Amino acid sequence: MHESGIAEDLAAIVLETARRVNLSKVTKVNISFGQMIQIVPDIFEFAFRETVRNSIAEDAELDIEIVPVKMKCMNCGSDFQVKENRFACNICRSTDLGIIQGKELFIKSIEGE
Amino acid sequence: MKNILDRNQNKANEVRNLLALKKVLMVNIISSPGAGKTTLLERTCEELGAKFRIGVIEGDITTDRDAQRLKKYNIPIVVINTEGGCHLDSNSISKVLDSFELDNLDVLFVENVGNLICPSQFDLGEAFKLAVVSTAEGDDKPGKYPMLFREAVAVLLNKIDLIPYTNFNFDSFSSDLKKINSQIPLFEVSCTRGDGLREWYDWISEKINISR
Repeated sequence: MHESGIAEDLAAIVLETARRVNLSKVTKVNISFGQMIQIVPDIFEFAFRETVRNSIAEDAELDIEIVPVKMKCMNCGSDFQVKENRFACNICRSTDLGIIQGKELFIKSIEGE
Repeated sequence: MKNILDRNQNKANEVRNLLALKKVLMVNIISSPGAGKTTLLERTCEELGAKFRIGVIEGDITTDRDAQRLKKYNIPIVVINTEGGCHLDSNSISKVLDSFELDNLDVLFVENVGNLICPSQFDLGEAFKLAVVSTAEGDDKPGKYPMLFREAVAVLLNKIDLIPYTNFNFDSFSSDLKKINSQIPLFEVSCTRGDGLREWYDWISEKINISR
């Protein structure tokens, strides 16, 4: 249930940003989560709803994008998507890897009026 | 793009800088409930208590039972009750660091709340994460919780003495783990019987010595 902690932090940032730019209503929040963060979107949405109840973001739509895990091979330089938890280069089999994406916990944009 | 956990990350960076300055190695221990984190700490205090100055932060949902078990070692222990929360965060760590005399510590073990998912997402400012799993939980943990096994710097497989009574398949466990993190050190131990703990003591002693 890390969803609730993350949802609370998200709500705090959304409400603070809305206040700063004088929004009277938040209509949509666009976020991306890396697959490694293991967020369950339904649980996250539920936790977010609970947190923003009775605020200017209570009707905001949540758009959650799940970003697949991609690594770069430090040996041969190729990029590949991790499938079935196989953290090895699919060309040269090296396990010396750097992460390109898959651990995101980002707010892309906040929409409002 | 703004990172949602910025607040946690900033605090974690503060904690990490402070501990580096004080030369204290903080180890974030993550496992399911009942894998043997507290027993591992009991054993480690017994073996290394004379050699290093050990402190413990106990993350517990509501009780201080784990802390009670460690009292006999006469080490500084602080309990953080998360009141239902499934993980510790960097803010709660930062708040309790004041309760320790950091100049008189070599290592600070953080026993996180028993859970394999949530604690692996929250940086506490630790030097590294240690994953503890026990054979009684089954051999599928790395495959089901890959994030923890990617994030951890070592894995301790506890309760190897129980393997004959379970359907734990070591080859399957080890091949799943290698797929996720091929170089990760694996300690196969029984914290109640003592098997395999020598390798753990030597490894953690080396880590503490490097940070001093």
